[in-house]
Amino acid sequence: MTIPKIQELINQAQDRYLASEELGLMESYISSLPDRLKLYKFIRDREIDILQTVADQVTSELPNVAVEDLESGIKNLILVVRYCSMAMLLNDESFLKQRLLDWLEGIMSMRDMRRLNETLYKLLNQVMRQQLSPTQLALIQPLITAAQVTLIY
Amino acid sequence: MISVADLVKEHRIPANFFDYGSYLKGDLEIGLLENRRGDRLIAVPDSLITSLYSGLAKETGQASRLVLFNCGKWWGKNFYTRFTESLEEYYSQSLAEMDMITFVQSLKECWKTHGWGRFEFDPQYQAQGFILIKTYNSPYIRKVEGNKMPAGYLEAGVLTSFFTRLTGRELLAVQTTCESLNAECNTYIVGLPERLGIVESFLAEGLEHEVVLQRVLR
Repeated sequence: MTIPKIQELINQAQDRYLASEELGLMESYISSLPDRLKLYKFIRDREIDILQTVADQVTSELPNVAVEDLESGIKNLILVVRYCSMAMLLNDESFLKQRLLDWLEGIMSMRDMRRLNETLYKLLNQVMRQQLSPTQLALIQPLITAAQVTLIY
Repeated sequence: MISVADLVKEHRIPANFFDYGSYLKGDLEIGLLENRRGDRLIAVPDSLITSLYSGLAKETGQASRLVLFNCGKWWGKNFYTRFTESLEEYYSQSLAEMDMITFVQSLKECWKTHGWGRFEFDPQYQAQGFILIKTYNSPYIRKVEGNKMPAGYLEAGVLTSFFTRLTGRELLAVQTTCESLNAECNTYIVGLPERLGIVESFLAEGLEHEVVLQRVLR
């Protein structure tokens, strides 16, 4: 159950009561919220840490990368992680897609930073694997992958 | 070495100013819709546009095309100011510092979010002094019975003054394909008026966009 689906259910109030299975879906989303909130706070509090690790490693993997490109690559990655975290909290991939990826795709397609971005995502995924539990990873990884696939391939 | 702490210091990393979810706001109790800067927005009914067009045509006949083109120019002048102010404020950058990609991408998003259809920018003839603009699902194009010429006067006007302001040179936007004539999109060639003035007579001869384009490129 995603937030837009829940909104659809809320709109049903004008016509009818919700069926038990609809409430069940709502309940299962709500019961997943504590884990989502915990992960959200974890990433929020470690934002700088996580991305600084990525930034430091990029410079050792791609020593010739221009500072300007790196800065813009990291800024985009900060946005991606922020929107992925919110999308994870809402359990809504379309939030990420519509609110950020459509925009970034247009911005990034016109600038050739493919190699840098591939490295950035590879490193981000590594850091996430080191810092998150497998259950946490399962909540956020699909979103990061969605961003990676949209923006790079 | 870059410092992520410095990058996130101001907390806000600007992305898309025209993101629909953040852009559209409103004070529903007093009946106001606003954008994120607090400028008033209104939903214009489709039938109002139709009525304005037919009223104009009835009162002014052939001249209504010119009236609409001039309204578009007036609109474009103000639109340019608002648009650039919004971007400069949002990105904390002057227009001169802003990269072209962000500017063009924002223009496309602006078009979409306001419900003006889809906007495409094609710079492939820039070196020859022209750019092509394509719009899809334009709300301002109306079928005119018996008309064989493109009818996007308002859009041609808005693009004319927008790009004139942007480049600081007197430019003209001429339309070569039109949704009202069953084309897939509305195409506008933007360039110097002395090179594009002839396009209208090419269109009157019934020439297609590609042929017109090749002739003006010559």
